[in-house]
Amino acid sequence: MSGHSNLLSWILWMPIIGVLGTLLIPRTKETMIRVWSLLNTVITMALTAVLYMKFDQTLPGMQQALTEKYAWIKQFNIFYHLAVDGISLPMILLTALLFFICILSSWTVKKQVKAYFALLLFLQSTVFGVFMAMDFFLFYVYWEVMLIPMFFLIGIWGGENREYAAVKFFLYTFFGSILMLVGMVALYFVTGQGVDSFNILALSGGKFTNTTVEIFGMVLPFAKIFFVALFIGFAIKVPVFPFHTWLPHAHVQAPTAISVILAGVLLKMGTYGFLRIAFPIFPSASVYFADAIAWLGLINVIYGAFCAMAQNDVKKLVAYSSVSHMGFVMLGLAAMTVQGMNGAVLQMFNHGTSTAMMFLLIGILYERSHHRWIVRPDGTKGFGGLYTQLPKYSIVFIIAMFASMGLPGLSGFISEALIFLGIYSKFTTITVLAVIGLLLGAAYLLWMFKRMFFGEVIEECKSYTDMNAREIFYMTPLCIAVIVFGVYPAPLLNMMKASVGKLVSLLATF
Amino acid sequence: MDYTISSVAPIVLLPFFAFVINAFLARKGGKATIAAVFLSCAAIAGSSVYAFRIFKDFVWGNYATNYHIHKFFTWFDLNGGGQEFTVNMGIYIDNMAAVMLLMVTVVATMIHIFSTYYMKDDMHYGRNGRFFVYMSLFTSAMLGLVLSDNLFSVFIFWELMGFCSYSLIGFYYEKEKTGNANVKAFMTTRVGDVFFLLGIVAIWTAIGSVGFVDIYNAVDSGLFTSTKVLGMPLATFAGLCIFMGTIGKSAQFPLNVWLPDAMNGPTPCSALIHAATMVAAGVYLSLRIYPLLEVGELTTFVAYIGGITAFGAATIALVQTDFKAVLAFSTISQLGYMVLGVGVGSYNAAFMHLITHAIFKACLFLSAGSVIHSLHDHHTHQHVQEMPRMGGLRHKMKYTWIAMWCCTLAIAGIPFFSGFVSKDRILGDALVAATHNPVMAVPAALGFLGALLTAFYMCRMMFLAFHGEPRDKEVYDHTHEEKLSWNRNAPLLFLSIFTLGVWFSGSLTGQGLVKVADYKNGKYEWFQTLIEAPKKGNFENYKREAFGNTDSRVKDSFEMTKYDKQHGLSEAEYHHVHKWHVIGAIASIIIAFSGVFIAAMMYLWKKWDPGFWVKTFNRYYRTLQNKYYMDELYIKGMIQGMLLPFNNLLAKLDMGIYDRFVVDGSAVATKFVMKIANWFDNLFVDTIMVDGTGASVKFFNLVLRTFQSGKIQFYFIMIILVLFGYILAL
Repeated sequence: MSGHSNLLSWILWMPIIGVLGTLLIPRTKETMIRVWSLLNTVITMALTAVLYMKFDQTLPGMQQALTEKYAWIKQFNIFYHLAVDGISLPMILLTALLFFICILSSWTVKKQVKAYFALLLFLQSTVFGVFMAMDFFLFYVYWEVMLIPMFFLIGIWGGENREYAAVKFFLYTFFGSILMLVGMVALYFVTGQGVDSFNILALSGGKFTNTTVEIFGMVLPFAKIFFVALFIGFAIKVPVFPFHTWLPHAHVQAPTAISVILAGVLLKMGTYGFLRIAFPIFPSASVYFADAIAWLGLINVIYGAFCAMAQNDVKKLVAYSSVSHMGFVMLGLAAMTVQGMNGAVLQMFNHGTSTAMMFLLIGILYERSHHRWIVRPDGTKGFGGLYTQLPKYSIVFIIAMFASMGLPGLSGFISEALIFLGIYSKFTTITVLAVIGLLLGAAYLLWMFKRMFFGEVIEECKSYTDMNAREIFYMTPLCIAVIVFGVYPAPLLNMMKASVGKLVSLLATF
Repeated sequence: MDYTISSVAPIVLLPFFAFVINAFLARKGGKATIAAVFLSCAAIAGSSVYAFRIFKDFVWGNYATNYHIHKFFTWFDLNGGGQEFTVNMGIYIDNMAAVMLLMVTVVATMIHIFSTYYMKDDMHYGRNGRFFVYMSLFTSAMLGLVLSDNLFSVFIFWELMGFCSYSLIGFYYEKEKTGNANVKAFMTTRVGDVFFLLGIVAIWTAIGSVGFVDIYNAVDSGLFTSTKVLGMPLATFAGLCIFMGTIGKSAQFPLNVWLPDAMNGPTPCSALIHAATMVAAGVYLSLRIYPLLEVGELTTFVAYIGGITAFGAATIALVQTDFKAVLAFSTISQLGYMVLGVGVGSYNAAFMHLITHAIFKACLFLSAGSVIHSLHDHHTHQHVQEMPRMGGLRHKMKYTWIAMWCCTLAIAGIPFFSGFVSKDRILGDALVAATHNPVMAVPAALGFLGALLTAFYMCRMMFLAFHGEPRDKEVYDHTHEEKLSWNRNAPLLFLSIFTLGVWFSGSLTGQGLVKVADYKNGKYEWFQTLIEAPKKGNFENYKREAFGNTDSRVKDSFEMTKYDKQHGLSEAEYHHVHKWHVIGAIASIIIAFSGVFIAAMMYLWKKWDPGFWVKTFNRYYRTLQNKYYMDELYIKGMIQGMLLPFNNLLAKLDMGIYDRFVVDGSAVATKFVMKIANWFDNLFVDTIMVDGTGASVKFFNLVLRTFQSGKIQFYFIMIILVLFGYILAL
């Protein structure tokens, strides 16, 4: 069945056109490469805006009018199958926005400009691929291919320890991918290698509740075994404790734009994997493991916050705060109630904007200071009195910080409140413990802010200049998003609520 | 007429728009900043006009006294895919909200006017503009909180106020100290707030709504007692959680530590946020959830918290030398009285004390601002706020002195002043509660003792600052004579008018100046008639109604409510209550005057030497000066002693042990396995089998090479030999 429109393909391949374009531009014309990349992301953004217009918010499930399905490898029933629903659309919009901002924030990259922008655009295409693919094989391909630009972007443009971080990131994720591959192959064979063996939509709905599988002579429930395989695969990406240790390394070493993409979009691919693949295909196993997921989410929330509080490197602190905030998403998912699930998807979007702001701001500061120590290892202050020195920067920082800690009126609050509302009815004890996360979340951010921004301006900070026009320009859309969706979250929720509701209804039957 | 959301919204939206516009305007400096300041003041003045209209309708009788307005709209919903969930926002105005609205807007207007004086020459350009940005946002949030019809929106505005408080405490951001103070304020209140959120979630899950009307109805239908959470009734769990919010926001024991530090902010913000409105919002919330506290049997707990706070903070205030610190502790103490009032079931008096306290404490803080702002140390270029360096200021600041004395008499509980009316009633009800339940005797006693201390330390402050001889001659001489001005002392004098008791009660016999009920008999005070605890009867006739529906229940003509003389009590009980109220009133009058007397003996007439007491009870004096070491316990003991080492340990475990040994260790282990595999590969597979194959081939090569000599004769011989061999074999 071929679709009525090729809009999704256009969005998916537009960054690839961008890559080809950058490759054609001579290496020395750096500004031209930058402008071309920027233009490319603007076009992509415009296309996603068209997608948003065409999207019918009342429909649960995939939008038929936007679906594209062509045979790719006929012998194995692998399809080029793209579709979009209320869960993936917010992620696609977020991706388009963040890549646009990242191109702008990467304006100051000096090293191998051509390769950098080509890889960045290539990365964008693979991320779109993950969020659009409805064929498991295609999904897997994009999931894996995405590692290649990430590996080089961290490994070439990163900090001092970049190779270690890049290899660690690659191996960690690859380990998860292998488990996912096992799950995918198992599904392929258990469905008899038929036309729909890789079709995520056709596999969904709890078909494998009573299927068993024989491993080493033991007869085991198919759904539970392969849910765990998929779970670990996705959990590494989220990252769920105890698979989280790649994140601080990757964040600290990655250049600013890559940190933004990593925290803003890539982590969400993990939770997106639960929503799109693990939960719909194995609903019975999801319900069975809900307690475990909730406890893991709780550990993420608390453990991430505790670790964040001990960090002296700002970027590492925010990296751990991501661990904590993604724990809230896991809690919302584990709740499997309408408030929890909607809260989780909303939190995926909101965390994307607020953390992106935090990492961008840290990048802006790093360009001036060339270090990120709140307190240096020798005990001296790394920053001091930034509020006096950088007033505009401080205001944006306050917005980002309070959005991140969930101040009402800014975006993080609605999602966290919905998540709490969602889990309370299922896991009262966990809710009571998880509120500690809210407390700690405010504590480490405010403490960091106090140490960096209050007091007299220390000597080395006196040379810092405030945000320039370009920096203000690319922070503005995020500030607006954070405030608007905090005051009026309905546009986002209307997008997702039908699709999320459908998933909740499915899970409720098990 | 009746109110709709859009006709009430300007109260909140005017300051909010002022905030939005000022956020862009205020930093520019010069004319833009002046415009910003003007806009903030105009916005809040506009709000107060609206608030006065509502107040007029509720108090002078367009509505029956138990009437309330409840309108709501859908904020967002999650209906779709077979699931349903709706979040509503709305307004809920009853008499309490109407009174509160007027108080907040009027006090805020006065404080805004005073701020134009106080912040006039702040050091940076545009800086005073920034002050007004937060003030506008704060006022808007506070008014939003008062109008809220559900706990969720209360929480939203509650946190926004916390944010404004954080920003204004940290207003002088170049001081390291303000950074500590605002983090402390935000985090301490946040401890209460997360519990508050938990309580909201618990109620929402159990009854499907957090609207006040729905909560009261659910209390009546018994849902709050039949539902159990973690082994206790929902009312107890939720009531406790939400009351934790009050403890944090209203600086009650044991979360009282943040309020004194909050004085690092500019004085007008202390007046508005940390005296009149935000901290009182905690008490307002506990009045709103009063049925939960009662059903959940938490009243004793609440009364104890209130009593301990009222007395404890008053003892600390005895030894403070900082002008604002005395006021800060007296605020904590007075909030304790309000909470005590809630605990002993004195709903009406607790709310009255909230209003009277807001007025006189705002005025006290503004007066303090007026004093501090004009005292200048020419060596350090700092304002002077230490009382030992003041003295004799009444000659220089006549108007401030008058206003401040009015407020001091009010807070001390001297008859005919507002504080007496409200505080006496709380103490009287505490006595009544103690006669019913002996456990309540402790908070009641603490309340009376606290009243003695209050009268003492307030008068001590007045005598030290305004009376006697100037102790720091230089500072005194540099101080200019105070002139009557619209933005310095006019707000003070205006507010001090409302420290008179007649506005709230009339007189000791209860003759109301403003009568809304039964003015033929003229026996009831408007406050007592209007404010009463939420009861079932108030709600059963009023169904929730959506935004836009016309309301048919407007009272066209003034309708008298049929309150009986004894406020619903039986004859015997009424006499019992009356008797104890009289005893309480006499006791508190004696106590208040003796407090004033002792202070006068020590600091005005200097007959008794306060130094004697300091020396005799030196240890207690030091304990009080260190605020019972609570800061040390929390910061040194819990945060620096426990939390941070734990964090560091965990972070070290995470990166140092877990990541290094387990995660990277698995890589090392893999490497090791690879080495073994490699070795196995080299030795057996490669050396013996692969290389072995090669070697054997080589060997045969060697053999064969000799055969491959290239000589035709040799081949010929070989062929013959082979053929011979075949023949032999055959």
